[in-house]
Amino acid sequence: MLIVDDAATVRLYYRQVLETAGFAVEEAVNGMEALEKALSRPFDLLVVDVNMPRMDGYTLLRKVREAPDLRAVPAVMISTEAQAGDARRAYEAGANLYLVKPVRPEVLALDVRLMTGVPPGECPK
Amino acid sequence: MPLIRPTPPPGTDPGQAVPAARLDAADPTERRRAALDRAYPDGPAADLCRRLPVENEPAVREAILTALMTIGGPQAVDGLLPLLRSEDAALRNGAIEALQKMDRDVVPHVENLFADPDSDVRIFAVNIVEALRHPLAPAWLFRLVQFERHINVCAAAVDALAEIGTPDMVPALETLTDRFPNQPFLHFAVRLAIRRITGEAEP
Amino acid sequence: MRETTPISPGEFAKFQEFFYRKTGLLFTEAKRYFVDRRLAERMQATGSASFRDYFTLLRFQASGTELQALVNLMTVNETYFYREQYQFKCLVDSMLDEVARTKKPGRPIRIWSVPCATGEEPYTLAIHLLEHWAQVDAFEIEILASDIDTAALDAARAGIYAARAVQYVPMTVRRRYFTELGDDRWQIIPELRRSIEFTRVNLHDRAEVARNGRFDVIFCRNLLIYFDEHSRRQAAESFFDVLYPGGFIGLGHSESMSRISSLFNVRRFPDAIVYQKPR
Repeated sequence: MLIVDDAATVRLYYRQVLETAGFAVEEAVNGMEALEKALSRPFDLLVVDVNMPRMDGYTLLRKVREAPDLRAVPAVMISTEAQAGDARRAYEAGANLYLVKPVRPEVLALDVRLMTGVPPGECPK
Repeated sequence: MPLIRPTPPPGTDPGQAVPAARLDAADPTERRRAALDRAYPDGPAADLCRRLPVENEPAVREAILTALMTIGGPQAVDGLLPLLRSEDAALRNGAIEALQKMDRDVVPHVENLFADPDSDVRIFAVNIVEALRHPLAPAWLFRLVQFERHINVCAAAVDALAEIGTPDMVPALETLTDRFPNQPFLHFAVRLAIRRITGEAEP
Repeated sequence: MRETTPISPGEFAKFQEFFYRKTGLLFTEAKRYFVDRRLAERMQATGSASFRDYFTLLRFQASGTELQALVNLMTVNETYFYREQYQFKCLVDSMLDEVARTKKPGRPIRIWSVPCATGEEPYTLAIHLLEHWAQVDAFEIEILASDIDTAALDAARAGIYAARAVQYVPMTVRRRYFTELGDDRWQIIPELRRSIEFTRVNLHDRAEVARNGRFDVIFCRNLLIYFDEHSRRQAAESFFDVLYPGGFIGLGHSESMSRISSLFNVRRFPDAIVYQKPR
């Protein structure tokens, strides 16, 4: 999976949680780098922050949904913004799930398993 | 050979008798040129700031931000700060990037930004301050984490201090885990920051 | 070299993150030796007593020149024929076909190599086109090559290279486009030398860039990574000015537009990632 966040601490945290759950992880610091990586090799899931330089998370999701090869990749958007309008914007841009920071590790691991079809208790390939 | 030697076409010099481009022209190419033509020290920042929030063409927006970064100064800062509250994520992040380059003129606003009632604005303020090349940036962020109540604002400041914090800040950072018990992410962030500040090995 | 305190794992992690965010270059633990040696060199050059002092300089220096000095040291900037060939393959297999589809009859296809240094890149480009692009005879193609260094441009116009620079050019190709001068030197044939225009250009000057006309494809490899953030962004604006809508930019293999500008779209072709001006 691809973790997209400009904060190094956040990327490392998600990495630790998801690697512990058995997933292989790559990172990008903004939406544009994420797009470059996602177009270069397949990912099972995108974990996307909202506010980032050069390309924000909504723009990234819109571009992902426009790209024929990426249209179907599930994406979870994780934001500090907890208002109703923020979730709506995320889903409109193409998110499959919207979570608000700080995300609890067990919630992230479980949601990621659900989105990628890996049953709880089983190790991803 | 199908390769032919290029001859630069005449009349492509924008300095040659081209009428002044308008920021409110209907043609986005002209608006973009208008923005870049205004990119010089002490240029008309206020005009560019007025256009920025209503400009819908991404390339023109980018040009306006590039011009504002060249101009800098208090007028540019005054025009960009309100955009931190914009509903438009691309605009808000463009404003953050530009403000990060305006070290001297952002400084007078730091205190107010850190006291903003909107926690997202305080997070953006952290993102701006952490990028400033100002010797007091670490101290401002450190002061913020000591009094800040919102976990996401604290987490953003701790992330910044992992890079620019100093060893004297470690004891106060440690108290954050008591102030926010049962918050695994913040605890992780604090441990990471302390390791990076003290230079310890990471697991 | 004076002994300096070794860089601790936490300090290395901090440096790694900072350098990656700024440049896109990610040095893993496996590169510790390479990185440590270069950091030690810069620490000594700047008179930094410890890594902490050096990192503070790197992080807070207003001019940003130390970061540029370090990037210079961390990257290898060589120039030779067929360097990073996948991009030329991408040009003839993907980009040019797309350019050709929308080109009006009778209009030339224009390609810009900047910085061209002593000419290896523009000549490689020309040879690649002549050898590998199926539609090469159906279009007029102009290659413009520019650099800020006039001595480099003079050398490029002369087109004389040591054997080492042409070592990756297959001998059959070499025989077609070079003349062997003896003492292991090779010169580009006059016909090819005459077909490329060399101009001096300062990328920091928007008007000077604009004087070169408009382009379908720009190669700007291994240059912007050495610019400070604002200069990079301004250079991207200048490239946007002179590209036709739908035109392409190729950067060096360790460079990414994600550290430069959001003006361009990302395009993935089989051989390379390039950037495209929106239509």
